[in-house]
Amino acid sequence: MNLFKAELRRIVRRRLSLIFGILALAGVVVLSGFIWAISSQGPSEAELAEAQEMADDWNMENPDYVDCIGEEDYFEDNEFYEWALTDPEYEELSHQERCEAYVGGSRASDYVWTYTFDFESEGPSMLLGVVIVAGLIMMMLASSAIGAEWSSGGMSNLMVWHPNRMQVWGAKLGAALALCAVAMIALAALAFGLLFLTAAVRGEVGTLDGPWWEETLEVLLRTGVLALGMTTLGASLAMLGRHTAIAGGVIAGYLIIGDLIVQMASMAMPMPFPERLSLYTWVIAWISGRIELTDWSDMGMNPDVMVITWGDAGLLLGGIVLLFGALATWSFHRRDAA
Amino acid sequence: MPPIIEIQGLRKTYRRSFRQPHNALDGLDLEVAAGQVHGFLGPNGSGKTTTLRALLGLIRVDGGTMRIFGEEVPQRLPQVVSRIGAVVESPQFFKHFSGRLTLQLLAESAGVPKDRVEAVLEQVGLRDAAKASVKGYSLGMRQRLAVAQALLKQPQLLILDEPANGLDPAGIHHMRELLQWLAHEQGVTVVVSSHLLSEVQQLCDSMTIVSRGRRIVDGSVAEIIAGHSGASLSVRFPDAASLPEAAEALTAAKPTVGAVVERDRLVVTGAPEAAWVTQTLAEAGIYLSELVTQTKNLESVFLELTGTAPAPGQTVQIGQSVAVPETAAPIEVPVTVANEAEEAQR
Repeated sequence: MNLFKAELRRIVRRRLSLIFGILALAGVVVLSGFIWAISSQGPSEAELAEAQEMADDWNMENPDYVDCIGEEDYFEDNEFYEWALTDPEYEELSHQERCEAYVGGSRASDYVWTYTFDFESEGPSMLLGVVIVAGLIMMMLASSAIGAEWSSGGMSNLMVWHPNRMQVWGAKLGAALALCAVAMIALAALAFGLLFLTAAVRGEVGTLDGPWWEETLEVLLRTGVLALGMTTLGASLAMLGRHTAIAGGVIAGYLIIGDLIVQMASMAMPMPFPERLSLYTWVIAWISGRIELTDWSDMGMNPDVMVITWGDAGLLLGGIVLLFGALATWSFHRRDAA
Repeated sequence: MPPIIEIQGLRKTYRRSFRQPHNALDGLDLEVAAGQVHGFLGPNGSGKTTTLRALLGLIRVDGGTMRIFGEEVPQRLPQVVSRIGAVVESPQFFKHFSGRLTLQLLAESAGVPKDRVEAVLEQVGLRDAAKASVKGYSLGMRQRLAVAQALLKQPQLLILDEPANGLDPAGIHHMRELLQWLAHEQGVTVVVSSHLLSEVQQLCDSMTIVSRGRRIVDGSVAEIIAGHSGASLSVRFPDAASLPEAAEALTAAKPTVGAVVERDRLVVTGAPEAAWVTQTLAEAGIYLSELVTQTKNLESVFLELTGTAPAPGQTVQIGQSVAVPETAAPIEVPVTVANEAEEAQR
């Protein structure tokens, strides 16, 4: 426990942790501030009147629209618009609305440039983004903390004090995961508070009912687990490579080149659902709960569909993290401390 | 009292792809008695640091046994590590942490009381620099910090790899006094690996010299120096013309005595004692003006034992030290000359 607390303190006191922490907090504040600045609770009466005037001016210059407005049987009499009569919504629209919809008349809404932030529909994806960024940051911090100790000789120093290597590895990984969890919860709570306040003052909160909470927390929980997995992966790669740059290189290499190669190979190989070769597909399936891949290769009307659920994705992603974690553990246990 | 450190037949081979395996340790033996400052010497690449790293569980060995405080290591290292303080190779720290925070983290990790941090900072002379980040520390200050962290646990065994590295003369003097105080007043056993032979000669009570991963010699420093100094006498005369005559007189009186003329002096070896030389020369009617007993220092003994004495125009390469036959026993050191050698050391 002492070692865990010391490792937690060591990682928190690192300058990189401070820089990343400030950047993450600033990022959340800037995001909320930006939404605060661009969001409003709908146009004012004056803005609506001005927009309507602009739409009317534009429509008066459109001869087709003028003809449409002037003739009640415009669509029945005009063979070019027979298709509109088959539209299910046709009967529900007033004549003016039909002219606007099918002939191309302008509406007031076309000239109202307002954005209303809707917390109910947009909030979860923003919170999810914040948690993913927290996970990426912790992946870098964890790999940096372990890599820097190896490259500086600090790891040997620590092992002279704590010869039980598994205890050292457990404390370091545990400290990184604990910090990751705290950072995610803190950032997500801050983002939730600021975005909720923004929505309440400058937008719409919407209905945050039971199903909304259930779905949002489910997605955030899975994203949080993903972030913890990323932290474990970063720490494991640094432990294997014994250098921050090796961990960073492997991750960046996969994200940039590795996935590109996978996509090129999938295009070259005649195989159904080539997207499944990309890790991104599985990450999306894990976060969103399920993903459907469609195989159009036979050009048929009933293409094959492959469903990847969060359970499938969890098995694959968890397997990858476990594999690297086990390799790092074995390597640390067996290899000489250079 | 059983030795604090016992190593027998330690072997470590580094196997590298497409290259010959390298035997860093080739059956090394080492014993360190309690309450002593023990020097661990050897040329570069002779296996000193490898031995210390193996002892501290940082590397695996291919054979041999190691015991600390009678416990087999590395298996029982967790049980004895709280009694060991160590610095292996050049110490490195997080650059942006202060000296105090560096020590606090280590102390916290092992449950060492916080007041020990201030105590060791004071002990190594870093009290006023404790707040500064390690980035601004000189090599000597980092060395002091490393020693401070080794002292944190109030160890009964202190293992220091090149502790004087980077220290200024005052720092070396302070370190010597500190280590001797720890060993002789506090009963701490100190093992020091160093290349500063004059420092080892002043600091250590006993020592082990290794070459190519094997022990060449061990024993008290004074005994080893004395044992390899021989009974060499330097004799000068008022008239240099007397040199050949004196050499002849000595060798005639005792055929086993060697007498070689070197410039303006006569170097006599194998004489029973200095008085015999003066008496024999006086009986031959030759009167000397100076007679000095020649004593070697640790450096010359080390160079002789390890075979690393440089020849004019040649550079000694790494690993070009003397090879010890596998069956060779450590060089025996005559005990009778101890007092004389200790005096010479002083």
